[in-house]
Amino acid sequence: MAKRLKAAERRASILAVAKVLFADKGFHGVSVDDIARRLGVSPAILYQHFPSKESLYEAVLSDIACTRENYVDAIVRGPSDFPGVLTGMTQVFVRSIARDPDYLRMEMLAALDNNPAAKQFFDHRWKSFTDFIEFSLDELAREQRVAQVNAKTASLMFQGMIREALYAKCIYNAEHYREFELPTLIERLMDLFLRALGYQQE
Amino acid sequence: MENVDFDLDTRGLNCPLPILKAKKTINALTPGQTLRVTATDPGARKDFEAFCRQTGHELVESGESAGEFTFVIRKH
Repeated sequence: MAKRLKAAERRASILAVAKVLFADKGFHGVSVDDIARRLGVSPAILYQHFPSKESLYEAVLSDIACTRENYVDAIVRGPSDFPGVLTGMTQVFVRSIARDPDYLRMEMLAALDNNPAAKQFFDHRWKSFTDFIEFSLDELAREQRVAQVNAKTASLMFQGMIREALYAKCIYNAEHYREFELPTLIERLMDLFLRALGYQQE
Repeated sequence: MENVDFDLDTRGLNCPLPILKAKKTINALTPGQTLRVTATDPGARKDFEAFCRQTGHELVESGESAGEFTFVIRKH
């Protein structure tokens, strides 16, 4: 019989187990019964903390992902120019993923799962970056401080570049890039991205 | 608050743009001056509360009406 836990401890244990299972099998591959069985409790205990499997899944993701406050902190502390803000936000995002790569596994599986709520969650995460890049490039293009590039293509390039770096370092642990620490790899990729945009400092 | 020193419209912009624009605008104000920010990003309230906590600027007022958020910030 599972020992009695305080509510906060119980909630944390549910999230921990759910994360492992969702990261392994995706949203549709895991049932509430599976999670309850792994915890050694009845499903009713889970429902006391999370009204649905969807809300549990979102809680797992929110627990792993960096918060908006982390982005605000990066913006307040860092430089306000385009490279400074984008690099600051990216490093915050990448640090949170590196701490817990199960987020990446869940994102990969969500793409295959056809789960609209999950897709919306992950799309929203990238939206902060794509909106910032597209808005900034429009402004910078008017000031002739970047080349004439399609802003949407540029933001897609950025997403692909960062996602691939995260997969290489956090999922595959690729031998080819082992010499680079993740923050350094991100800095170098950001430098290449700015060169590709033809970015000119003010 | 009716009279502020500067108005900043960030409607239609999403995080991090409202915060970034507010930061740049406040940098140009003198201590004691006020900035009113209008935003539509649903996370704006949390963002501006965090912004004021981290910078020490005073969040004088915050409100919401019909999906629009308004924040009045006094520069410290």
